[in-house]
Amino acid sequence: MSRVHADIGALKGLHEALVRFRYAQRGVAERGAGEIELTRASLAARAGDWEARLEQHQAELAACRSRGGDCSAYAWAVEQAAERLEHVRRWQQRVDTEAGEFGGTASTFLDLLDSDLPRAESQLLAGIASLEAARRVQARAP
Amino acid sequence: MHTRPDRDGDEQLRLLGAAWEEADRHWRDEVARQFEADHWAPLVQRSRAYLDALCAMMDLLETAERETEF
Repeated sequence: MSRVHADIGALKGLHEALVRFRYAQRGVAERGAGEIELTRASLAARAGDWEARLEQHQAELAACRSRGGDCSAYAWAVEQAAERLEHVRRWQQRVDTEAGEFGGTASTFLDLLDSDLPRAESQLLAGIASLEAARRVQARAP
Repeated sequence: MHTRPDRDGDEQLRLLGAAWEEADRHWRDEVARQFEADHWAPLVQRSRAYLDALCAMMDLLETAERETEF
């Protein structure tokens, strides 16, 4: 009799843990997706910033060249802004590629949370109900 | 305190694993074996795969932020 009680208690604990896991991991997945979007936005802002700086330095270089004289400092500023912009764009491409691949794994995991896990919870509940019924029969037995 | 989602996910999987171990100690019938094969093992495997991929993704995002900070 006490053995059956212990079984049911542990199984109910597992069922509660499965439900908590499903909700918590949904939050984890949402936060993960949010972090990707935040970084994408951050990189886009940085790329935009370096685009603006590049345009500014190019305009300053053109103005210097029209005046004549040593424009090497302006040329260096243009080169550096172009390199940094390219660097940021490479990171944007890398994050987009990796995020695309990760999206497939994330989608499979969300399917698990939305479909497979509720089925597992239902099966466990059915098992618990069956054990409880058996316990009631056992309790009524002379 | 802000923690990375993959670390929170790891912790949730650890807690679920502890609940499974507790249930597994008392649950040794055919239904248990079927539940483990049909639900538990795939759940752990797919959760681990997702959390490892999420960890790698979070590492990449941190590196991207750091590497583009001039």
